[in-house]
Amino acid sequence: MIEENSSRLDPKLVEEFLKFGKNMIDAPKLVPAPDEINLEVTEHEVAYTEDKVRLLHYKPRTSMQIKTPLIIAYALINRYHILDIHPKKSWVRNLLDQGIDVYMVDWGTPTNMDKYLDLDDYVNGYLDNCVDFVRDESEVDNVSLQGYCTGGTIATVYTSLHPEKVKNFVATAPVIDGWRDTTVVSNLAKHIDVDKMVDSIGNMPPEFMYYCFSILKPFEQGIEKYTNFFRNIENESYVDNFLRVERWLGDTPPIPGELFKQWIRDIYQDNLLIQDKMYVGGKHISLKNITMPIFTQVAVGDHLVSPECSMPLHYAVGSVDKTLRVYPTGHVGMIASSLSQKKVLPELGQWLKEHSELR
Amino acid sequence: MSSKPQALTSVGPMRNFSTNAKKIATELLDANEDLAEFNKRLTEYYQQLADTWANAQKKVNTKMPKIPNDQEKFDSYKRIWIDIFDNDFTELFDSHKFGENYGKLVASELELSKHWEQMVNVMLQSANLPNKKEIDEIYKELHALRKRVSKLESQTKESKIRSK
Repeated sequence: MIEENSSRLDPKLVEEFLKFGKNMIDAPKLVPAPDEINLEVTEHEVAYTEDKVRLLHYKPRTSMQIKTPLIIAYALINRYHILDIHPKKSWVRNLLDQGIDVYMVDWGTPTNMDKYLDLDDYVNGYLDNCVDFVRDESEVDNVSLQGYCTGGTIATVYTSLHPEKVKNFVATAPVIDGWRDTTVVSNLAKHIDVDKMVDSIGNMPPEFMYYCFSILKPFEQGIEKYTNFFRNIENESYVDNFLRVERWLGDTPPIPGELFKQWIRDIYQDNLLIQDKMYVGGKHISLKNITMPIFTQVAVGDHLVSPECSMPLHYAVGSVDKTLRVYPTGHVGMIASSLSQKKVLPELGQWLKEHSELR
Repeated sequence: MSSKPQALTSVGPMRNFSTNAKKIATELLDANEDLAEFNKRLTEYYQQLADTWANAQKKVNTKMPKIPNDQEKFDSYKRIWIDIFDNDFTELFDSHKFGENYGKLVASELELSKHWEQMVNVMLQSANLPNKKEIDEIYKELHALRKRVSKLESQTKESKIRSK
């Protein structure tokens, strides 16, 4: 009798399975197609273009209190939309609401023709031209520069080479000390024959990046995430959030071959940046050249860029005025979550206000 | 050097094609060696995944020997299953043995694609079309030209500012 009872399924469990099945069938009727989702949330204009790179200038949402504009150098992986993914979780919108003038660098989608673009082109070409454009337009000598993830590496190199143009430097989960990085991504990066890869296939294809994403918590991300999605299929706000992030995740541009080669070799394999041995465009990159106020943000649960990889920047720069903030979240959670809205952004906004020219 | 009978049968442009056909055969033979290496690495890759899966499942079985049949316990079983599998697979992906094999797997795949590329190049050459190397040279030249233009533009801008 006991045996019989223990093998019988709980009716609630059966109900749950049936509901889950129904939700899966109903999903196409309830959920918009990915193409129907518009990831452009906050109003902006394209202020400057060069090749495939665009500099976006966001429309103010309040009276500007801070004269020093902020330029965000987004990462090379995925696109800038994550920083403006949803009105309630928008990094950009929060900063605008704090009276900050925000620009964003969209690196665009490189094609085979761009395979010879290297770090020098990105740092001393595109980013430098964007900074010069903003300095002219805003009539300021220098700007605040924020770099996120690999954009943090580009911004770090830029700030070292052009310190006079950067008033404040914000490094958000920057990739700095590749040897200390404990993520699975760095393990793959360390073992790849990057010369052979670039020589054979040119630009780094998005598919390779998707493989890297797939090995990050594969069961949580591959099972639980989608189970929760189908469970919440009738919750409009949940579905909207989910699809926005999914669409963002599934849209990563190729990385120019030469740039990818230099990034993997110099950062992950030879770890030149933190050792003060890196050269870009024939110029030596010394982190000691970074002497302006710096605000470094890292997340303890970051499984793409581990805190051990980002934090050495705080200790290596020549700045006297430096702040390190460690948040109890992950790589994306730091920039697009309720925590980022309630904690990360107010702290950054306050810091920028204290270190910028006011109107 | 082609043999005389071959020279007799392949005259004019066809002579060029027969020489190229030999290159394709050589590439195919060389690709076989790399295919063996690729298969070895791919087998090792799946073996590592399978071993990790089996070990993780053993851990789950030790912790929860039976799949519960009520809602609450089923959810906690699922949580434990996901946590153990994520931990074990992350440990694998983070290991030297995985990284090393993955690196060699990708390298052997790239060798195979290189052979394919060489074969396509031969065919493109036969059809009097530019091959990858030639297109790469154009891309390189374009890149250098873009750099020069950009440098000249900034020099012009600077001299204009100075003259004001």
